[in-house]
Amino acid sequence: MDIFLTALAASLSWQALLGTFFGALVGLIFGAIPGLTYSMALAMVLPITFSMSHTAAIAMLLGTYIGGMTGGAVSAILIGVPGTPSAAATVLDGEVMAKQGKASIAIGIATIAGCVGGILSLIVMLVSVDALARVAISFGPAEITALVVFGLSTICGLAGGSLVKGLIGGVIGLMLMNIGQDPIDGVPRFTFGTTAMLQGVDLLVAMIGLFAVPHVVTVFATYWRGKEMRIEAGNVRTELPSWRLLLSQRWNFLRSAAIGTVVGAIPGTGGPIAAFLAYDQAKRWSKHPETFGKGEVSGVVAPEASNHAVTGGAMIPLIGLGIPGDPATAIILGGLLIHGIQPGPLLFMEKPDVIMSIYLLFVLAYVVTALIQLFGVRAFVKALRVPPHLMAVGILVMCVIGSFAIRNSLFDVGVMGLVGFVAYWLIKGGIPATPILLGLVLGPTLEREARTAMIMSEGSPAVFVESYTALLFWALALVILGSQLITMMRSRNQGSKKAAA
Amino acid sequence: MRLTRTTATTFRLFGAAAAAGLLLSLPSPAHAEFPEKTIEMTTLFGGPAQTISQVLADLMSKNIGQPVITVSRPGGGGAIGYTFLQSAAPDGYSIVFSSNSISTVYYQGNLPFNYSALAPVAQIGMEVPVLAVRADSGWKDLKALQDAGKASGKKLRVGVSGLGTFTHLASAALFNRLGLQVVYIPYGEGRAPAELLGGRIDAALQWASQFAPHVKAGTINVLCMTSKEKVDLPVDTVTCDSAGAKGLDLTIWRGIHAPKDTPPAVIAKLEASIKQAVESPDFKKAGDNLGFSPLFKSAKDFGAMVAENDKEIGELMTELGINKKKK
Repeated sequence: MDIFLTALAASLSWQALLGTFFGALVGLIFGAIPGLTYSMALAMVLPITFSMSHTAAIAMLLGTYIGGMTGGAVSAILIGVPGTPSAAATVLDGEVMAKQGKASIAIGIATIAGCVGGILSLIVMLVSVDALARVAISFGPAEITALVVFGLSTICGLAGGSLVKGLIGGVIGLMLMNIGQDPIDGVPRFTFGTTAMLQGVDLLVAMIGLFAVPHVVTVFATYWRGKEMRIEAGNVRTELPSWRLLLSQRWNFLRSAAIGTVVGAIPGTGGPIAAFLAYDQAKRWSKHPETFGKGEVSGVVAPEASNHAVTGGAMIPLIGLGIPGDPATAIILGGLLIHGIQPGPLLFMEKPDVIMSIYLLFVLAYVVTALIQLFGVRAFVKALRVPPHLMAVGILVMCVIGSFAIRNSLFDVGVMGLVGFVAYWLIKGGIPATPILLGLVLGPTLEREARTAMIMSEGSPAVFVESYTALLFWALALVILGSQLITMMRSRNQGSKKAAA
Repeated sequence: MRLTRTTATTFRLFGAAAAAGLLLSLPSPAHAEFPEKTIEMTTLFGGPAQTISQVLADLMSKNIGQPVITVSRPGGGGAIGYTFLQSAAPDGYSIVFSSNSISTVYYQGNLPFNYSALAPVAQIGMEVPVLAVRADSGWKDLKALQDAGKASGKKLRVGVSGLGTFTHLASAALFNRLGLQVVYIPYGEGRAPAELLGGRIDAALQWASQFAPHVKAGTINVLCMTSKEKVDLPVDTVTCDSAGAKGLDLTIWRGIHAPKDTPPAVIAKLEASIKQAVESPDFKKAGDNLGFSPLFKSAKDFGAMVAENDKEIGELMTELGINKKKK
């Protein structure tokens, strides 16, 4: 109890509160601007924490991390461009909700879903950090490969009308990520002998191109034809979700948070896959799956609850084993180490007060972030009153800056433009953007893990089916693929019957 | 997520904004003399190396009279950042946080020039990887691992940071000396301890700080360090040289390079600033916490060391059959 009170006092000191607030604000801004990520925000605030007390430093790092995760939803909903890859699934229904004049409800519920998901994941972490850390390290390259294939199977649910077009999109995404230096042998691929091409296509750059450029082109084209794109400015109310709406989502909250926590705990996976899996599951469990993609609230709740639960999940191997699962947690680890805090099994025994303050600051970061967001909704939705063609100019400027800033590379700006231009025609041709994104997100992980597994087994593919965990995910992927094929066959039969009649 | 590649960039514009803020608060030099504006330190990788570069930049900012900011230019195993720097203006405002990667990436055939295309400024420290095994393997020293490996007749699985990277070379040098058959499994930075704990590999060659909590918890044993001389590490252990791998001496150097034609006076100024930063107690403390050994070498000594090290790495890679520059 003493420990709890000491940690509580430290966590509520003005330094810690200010650190959390500043961190959350920087995180939100970075998260909301496509191309600027919370990893960048973390790297930027890290030197500031060098001279702080360790509580204030942890507060600022966690605030930035969590604020950044939350910020991604704002641009996903308002302009249909995800601020971070983790928020990509939020675009599907969030953007439609905004077009229906329900932007504030969408942002509100995304914020609350995130907060609930994050805190649920913390509770899981509190109760079972040891057990989950063990589960996390039981995932080797072969198991992660199976998990990623399971993640790719959600293309079925995201493909919209045509499974074939969805798969085409997925393959385009996977192929794009092959450009550049091979992640295993360091062999240059499709670089035409140039050093610049060694960088390959950055995920974020491709994502910005994929979502933002087609949007901007469409807006300009419509404006040029003299038609006004109508987003009913008068209808943009600032209204927050009701308790009834929130309560109706309780199972979705729980299910999505559970998915996020587990995926987050596995090193080398992360937010995007958790968000897509949760979205897919929400759709499968829904009584009215046909409303998904048409402004369904559950379609915003699921990815947001899930990608925020990833933050708690990622803390499990970080705090429990001292192993960072992604670039963002690697920076947080650096911040902890600099202050002489070495996460790992011993930290629980040697410095329980530090562990306690990490937990408390984690909750604090969520509360502060949610409050900033909920107060900010009013300002955010005002952005929708800006005429679309002017807004598009702003988006374009932001995207150029964002794609440059990721690696301080002009090459990336060119890639963004090229990917966007091609994406515009693909989307016009009926290839949905989301499967392309899924291919982009999961491609590098799939390649790296599958090849590492094969190196480990010295070339025997049996390694992929040797563990129950891997078998489970293969089976799940097959079930999803099978059920999709059956549904397709049925609807085709019905279609042909109707045609015959 | 590619840990090494997309890891955090210190965003240039914001860095510049912060720099502008600092500018207002710092007394400006009376006459035009280097440095008059922000110095940009290119970093090539994420992880602990990036944190160290940020600490260094922070300390240099305090003594050189202008802000020093880190700018991340990752990709191509360092090739992107080195290429940027090689073509940058030789005025001292562009420097790179360099390492042996300049040699490995060159011999891998991914960099059209080698270390001699850049001007050495100073060494700032070194990192010594250690060999770790699971405690329940029962291998208490290098000899036990060698005997078990020979007795089983099976190939050992050893985790490294990536094929052709420094940890791979050091492992290969080590296990060739021990006469063991090995499969090298490339993980991104930071993954190997988890894989070791999960029982999927037999040993891992990585930074000592990664293993420190597990050694204390009694789940991992560290067998030896790859330097010839014993250095202070977060985990105490013997040298591989003394444990049976005669003559093994491989460490990562970290330092600062500038574009080739940077004026000597400017390099001297940077060198002095780095010396002061590296020898400060703050840097020592950060190094202790991050498992990094600060070590200052002047531009001349550093340059000679890099040249010698480059030759060794080239020979080692030829020996391993991964030297693409060999005629």
